[in-house]
Amino acid sequence: MMKRMIYQKLVSCFVTGIILIGMVVFLLLPKKTFSEQENQELERFPKFSKEAVLDGSFIEGLEAYLCDHFPLRNSFLNIKTQFEKLLGKKEINEVYLAKDGYLIEKYKEPVNNEKVIRVFNSFANSLQTAECYVMLAPTAITIYQDKLPVFVDGSRQEENRQYLMEQMNTKVIDIGGILKEHASEYPLYYRLDHHWTGYGAYFAYRVFCEELGLPARELEEYQISEITKEFKGTIYSKVCDFSAKGDSITLFQLPEQKLKVTYVDTEEVTDSLYELEYLDKKDKYSLFLNNIHPLVEIENLEIQSQEELVIVKDSYANCFVPFLTEYYRKIYVVDTRYYRLPISTFINENPAIKNVLILYNMNTIDTDLGVGGIY
Amino acid sequence: MVFSSIPFLFFFLPLFFLLYYLVPFRAKNYVLLVFSLLFYAWGEPIYILLMVLSSVIDYSIGRLMDRYDKVFWIRTCLLCASIFANLSILGFFKYADFFIETINLIAHTSIPTLDLPLPIGISFFTFQTMSYSIDLYRREVKVEKNFFSFMTYVSMFPQLIAGPIVRFSTVNEELHNRVIDFRGFYQGSFRFLQGLIKKVLLANQMGALWNMIQGQPYGTISVLTAWLGAVAFTLQLYFDFSAYSDMAIGMGQMMGFHYLENFNYPLCAKSVTEFWRRWHISLSTWFRDYVYISLGGNRKGIIKQIRNIAIVWFLTGMWHGASWNYILWGVYYGILLILEKFIWGKALKRWPKILQHGYTFLIVVVGFTVFVFEDWKKLGQYMQQMIGLAGNRFVSTEFLYHFRNYGVLFLCCIVLAMPFYPWLIKQIQRMKRSRIERLLKGCFAFGYIALFILVVAFLVSDTYNPFLYFRF
Repeated sequence: MMKRMIYQKLVSCFVTGIILIGMVVFLLLPKKTFSEQENQELERFPKFSKEAVLDGSFIEGLEAYLCDHFPLRNSFLNIKTQFEKLLGKKEINEVYLAKDGYLIEKYKEPVNNEKVIRVFNSFANSLQTAECYVMLAPTAITIYQDKLPVFVDGSRQEENRQYLMEQMNTKVIDIGGILKEHASEYPLYYRLDHHWTGYGAYFAYRVFCEELGLPARELEEYQISEITKEFKGTIYSKVCDFSAKGDSITLFQLPEQKLKVTYVDTEEVTDSLYELEYLDKKDKYSLFLNNIHPLVEIENLEIQSQEELVIVKDSYANCFVPFLTEYYRKIYVVDTRYYRLPISTFINENPAIKNVLILYNMNTIDTDLGVGGIY
Repeated sequence: MVFSSIPFLFFFLPLFFLLYYLVPFRAKNYVLLVFSLLFYAWGEPIYILLMVLSSVIDYSIGRLMDRYDKVFWIRTCLLCASIFANLSILGFFKYADFFIETINLIAHTSIPTLDLPLPIGISFFTFQTMSYSIDLYRREVKVEKNFFSFMTYVSMFPQLIAGPIVRFSTVNEELHNRVIDFRGFYQGSFRFLQGLIKKVLLANQMGALWNMIQGQPYGTISVLTAWLGAVAFTLQLYFDFSAYSDMAIGMGQMMGFHYLENFNYPLCAKSVTEFWRRWHISLSTWFRDYVYISLGGNRKGIIKQIRNIAIVWFLTGMWHGASWNYILWGVYYGILLILEKFIWGKALKRWPKILQHGYTFLIVVVGFTVFVFEDWKKLGQYMQQMIGLAGNRFVSTEFLYHFRNYGVLFLCCIVLAMPFYPWLIKQIQRMKRSRIERLLKGCFAFGYIALFILVVAFLVSDTYNPFLYFRF
């Protein structure tokens, strides 16, 4: 009878061992407060108080804290992902495992359409002299629809983008066509991050120039440099698939430009649009315009034009702005999630501002609170 | 606190067992009691008083019954008092709002509801304490004189929040005298691990599939997808519930207690009658022994028997939650059981086996579809989609997509819902001491360890991990 139990014994001892080791390691391990991997603050140890215990919030906080700080958390996530891949799963944590190594975020049914339309239109109406343009950037789910797993219908985002563009009473810059056209030619989106690449931004810039009657440059005119091949961005963090190959980040520069970039909130002044120290960190996309700032002012010091531009935007604009610096004496880049002053008043008080561009991607436009801050 | 969570698995459980094994025997019940109260307080700090109250009542009633052992009417009054007290606690905390809403609906009044949060496990512990009083009245158990031992019985954390309903007679002896050895530890922890794997890797995944399907807008899912969803929910409930029982039985074993089995492959029953002999056994036997038999069972003629079955199944439905769909679900089974007993039960036995299985499975899946929707409108809509009356197609690409994502696990669940695993173990044991036997056992051991690591990976990544019994 005892003989029969040998393998149960083995399993039982091993599991007990893992649990005990897990407990001890957890208690001894130093705790981080910020996860580079997920680019967000980790749960802190919940405050202990009578109220928190009684209403259950202490316990909830404790559970989240334990999960966030669990030893080897990423390795465990990776194990889970590999297992699910083995089972043939094509969707993990609301991310599609698409072809050619693309991880593509699911498009959630929009819930804020009417609010977006109202905010954009009232904002445009309140502008006196400046001309307002809206650019809605599709995400990879639209442009790389053919890479989605079989049976997944990725057309909803484009449908909604068309609807939103029809409802705007501003000028609309439709970049869907050109991106589709070049989708197989260049990597327009990162495989592991939710942003578009420099190529994606470049083709958007072509349409922008066309709409505004500006002369656009050919790709060859830029000094193109691949600064890393190891970029594993936000979608990667959701899935944590260790076997995924990193993305390249490519810069498109005009070396003769002399710029002055001012980060108004931190009063930092520099001459570059890129903060290359982010290359050593996980969130490498932040090298464009130094991640998030409520207001960035970019001055071109050697230009005749007196025209100025305001960009109201999400992070998609961070790698798009570099293409525009040669056309405007000054560009104000406004992130309305953090910029709390009325933008339209600011624009109306500065007659030099000739154009306003609203640039959002189709995911953040519905989910980001920043849109509400526009007007 | 649920068993399948990081805090329980990596802190509560090891700390408890370290202490439990270290202290001398007479202190073990106290350790168990303190940890059980902590466990309950983890989610329900205030309602712990309710559980203590219920224990105090039934403990005192037990002592009094013992004292007035010879006086029949006092014993009867005490029994009534116990049942009244427990049903009042249950009725007030679980059903008050349900009654109020029903009265409001019928009489067009607007009595405000109480909106009390439901104390977790209330249906389990009140049924346990009641079983003690009734058994004592029937002289089937001996009185418990030590309050702390009794409280330990009521609050024992393994079965506190999701069953099985452990009767006092099952653990009576072991409360005072039990063998705690390595054998129990190995077997118990192995059983616990099996339950944990079932819950995290099977039940939760089926739950995620069901959640995805039932969240789709009305009319957009095909008939096959609707059925896939309904079967997925059935599998989720079975694996979830039986996993909790496995974990409870396993932890009990590690402590030296031997609970009764609660599930016995219900999904491959050949009739509804058989299904209920295999599903949530501790509940159906509770109702059988304390309600059905008390009412006279089948000994007082067919009419009374039908009445008794009807009452039992109305109550069984109601026990599962304070909402009409649970009652409908209970009545549905009551009717089917009556029909099987008196009309087609015998004919059913002559059918080919596969049809008997199919018939039962179909009834069970439809039953759980009624069970899952508390909202009548949603239930109606989902049923329409299942029979294709929602203008939906029979099959569409989204069915293939769901199947692609969850198909492997779905099929695993189907296989494991049949007694395939015990069969396999038996086959392996038959190859006595052969090399293949050792090899296969090695594979099993390795497999279980790997599955445990997967379980941790799933728990750490915070995936869908619901607790289904908060309505019980």
